[in-house]
Amino acid sequence: MTLHALNDAARAAGLFRGQSHADACAILPALVSAPAEPERDLGMLKRLALWAERFSPSVAVDSREPGYDGLLIDMTGGAHLFGGEAALLADIRARLASANIPARLAIADTPAAAWALARFTAVEDVIAPSGKTREAVASLPVEGLRLGSEAVALLKRFGLRQIGDLYGLPRAGLARRFRGEAGLRVVERLDQTLGVLSEVLTPERPPPAYRVWSPFAEPLMDVAGVDFHLPRLMRALCIQLAQGGQGARRLSLIGYRVDGRTTSVQAGLSAPSASAEHLIRLLREKGLEHLDLGFGIDAMMLSVDKAEVLEARQTALAPVKTSFPPLRGEGPGMGVVQPVGFTGRSQSVLPTPIQKAGAVIRRADTELLSEQNAADRPSPPTLPFPPQRGKGSVESLVGQDPASLAALIDRLQAKLGEGAVLRPRGVESWIPERSETWAPAGPEAPEAAFDLGRERPILLLERPEEVNIPVTELPDGAPRQFTWRRVQRRVVKAEGPERLSPEWWRPTDALKPVRTRDYYRLEDDQGRRYWLFREGLHAREDLDLDPETQEERERHPTWWMHGVFA
Amino acid sequence: MDLSTPLHAPSPAPDLYPAVCEPLEEVAAARPADVAPALAFALSRLAQNKSGDDPRPWVMATTPMWLRERGRPFARGLAGMGGAPERLIWIRAAKEIEALWALEEALKSGAVAGGLVTAEQPAFVTTRRLDFAARAGGARGVVLRAGPALDLSAARMRWRIAATASAPGQFDEAAPGAPRLVADLARRRGGPPGIWELEQDDETGGFRVVPGLADHGLAEAGPERSRRKTAAA
Repeated sequence: MTLHALNDAARAAGLFRGQSHADACAILPALVSAPAEPERDLGMLKRLALWAERFSPSVAVDSREPGYDGLLIDMTGGAHLFGGEAALLADIRARLASANIPARLAIADTPAAAWALARFTAVEDVIAPSGKTREAVASLPVEGLRLGSEAVALLKRFGLRQIGDLYGLPRAGLARRFRGEAGLRVVERLDQTLGVLSEVLTPERPPPAYRVWSPFAEPLMDVAGVDFHLPRLMRALCIQLAQGGQGARRLSLIGYRVDGRTTSVQAGLSAPSASAEHLIRLLREKGLEHLDLGFGIDAMMLSVDKAEVLEARQTALAPVKTSFPPLRGEGPGMGVVQPVGFTGRSQSVLPTPIQKAGAVIRRADTELLSEQNAADRPSPPTLPFPPQRGKGSVESLVGQDPASLAALIDRLQAKLGEGAVLRPRGVESWIPERSETWAPAGPEAPEAAFDLGRERPILLLERPEEVNIPVTELPDGAPRQFTWRRVQRRVVKAEGPERLSPEWWRPTDALKPVRTRDYYRLEDDQGRRYWLFREGLHAREDLDLDPETQEERERHPTWWMHGVFA
Repeated sequence: MDLSTPLHAPSPAPDLYPAVCEPLEEVAAARPADVAPALAFALSRLAQNKSGDDPRPWVMATTPMWLRERGRPFARGLAGMGGAPERLIWIRAAKEIEALWALEEALKSGAVAGGLVTAEQPAFVTTRRLDFAARAGGARGVVLRAGPALDLSAARMRWRIAATASAPGQFDEAAPGAPRLVADLARRRGGPPGIWELEQDDETGGFRVVPGLADHGLAEAGPERSRRKTAAA
């Protein structure tokens, strides 16, 4: 057992990391110790990494031995956003200090150099000037190269105590001095520290393609504040998305709390969208109140975790409703082209008047716009083609508009959950409960494959309910009467059986083989129609194996209610 | 009106059956066991669309209790009743209030042709909101209830549906034929109530009024012989 981490008091008593626990107890009998929990440390560090994304989208957790105790933030080209490197370090320090997280900070040209400077300099905040890495790390001990303990011991035995001692040595000789890989490793680490060899950082989360963020001078303490700032941020994000021709499929709103944690709300979309209004509505429906603001958040970020190409879509040839007389002022002009899901408020590719015309069509479809209103409106812009007078052109256009349907599905899914909005899909199977699956809905209609060969009930019970049949016409015939849900029903009309064999190509339980079903359509004396089936055939399928004794035992056919007809 | 009594028989020559669906209607099963005919009737009301073929999808919002008691929609069965399952979006809400909310949003969006919701006790305000939403979205809404009640509702038409003996089987006298039901228009705004016996039309999947008299149509006019000739030709 060795010491993994210490507090100031223990350090003051002369204990150090890596010391054996027995030695430490001998030096300090009053030592209080607890088992180390590296997994929890790592979890906390990952949460801190999410928080650190406020400074850069690329944050890596330094998960190498010994201990998980560092974050590597790639600030390339970003420090000026925070007022320069010194101001950035001061900002980070102040924020961490307010969250009661002790830290050493360093900025250098290479991750390895920053790693070494943060750990092996006495000064707290270190900035190695750009291009001066070689001088900055020269006086650091060789442990700063992050080598194995054997390699460090060997270097020290050679009298190479500082990184600078290695500069003058011939590289080939240096590599040869160590057995096996270790020599190459020393050279490689030295090169990485000095920036000759690049070191790849693996960020904790892949940097989002689109993100916007905004810091606040005073922390936001309540959801109303978040709600107030959301539209401004979302509009900025949607401008970015529109410029890239992309739409969001997955979106996060992340709040940066003053205590160094983050809180977030995610929303998924069934079709890509770059409409600020829709995205705001989606997040609001998802529930901003789920944000755990703690003692307030001092920054807010919107990031698009998954983006897809947004195809521009022509919503109409001519913005005129057929059932109305043509609006005044029509003539040649241009068509209405809008990206899908665009409400076309601020980020439009077209001049405003055309957008207004687009709004007129939408309204017209909802029959809110009366004839007088249409006439009273200011003249719409000139139109490209003569207005369509075909069969319900506008209605069918809007009816098939996948954008409004996708928006509806998104909102329903955001509020009710992903699995709550479903569309059926036919499956090639004659077993009723297997013959269709319900998959999360998308804006496109699924391929329809619902054959109408046989009469099928309109409502299918989730699992068949056993019914009691006292009398049947013949051993294999339809029942005369049956008891279902404690009510006895007398059968007046019956049709059947429709025999559905088990699907022999599907694996089955040897102890309880799947049996043939004989389905009957029955009508009782009140006119209600039922779908009953008998499971098992008399004299042929009434044996199976006892699970305990492995002996054959009798298993009579049973009757089940499976659905009701209209 | 006492709702516990069974529906009385429709008259042989009833009033004109109101084919056009109002923005919001209520369809209640006369008894809980009549939910399946009530659902089929609701589907036929939704299909009675002014503009004919509407390519927009339709929604059905259900509650878990309803599904457990009555079963889930079965696409193949819906297809047989003209329910167009390829255009169905099924919303499995966890609570009735969520189901009502979902239907309101769907109707309001203008993206759906219509929708129905299974509800036990929708408040008057809720039905009023549904009515407005359906008007705003150019859609049709139906509130499907498992039992009739005399509470307030903004639905323009309030139906009570009971199953009745099916039509004689076409090929087999002992088999159930085309489904029939008795539709009682108990409350109607701007029109007289009425009661009709309806039968499924096997062409459209919708319902049509059962002729009160013998169900064989009119014989062709003209002498017997010429008719035979035509048949032979």
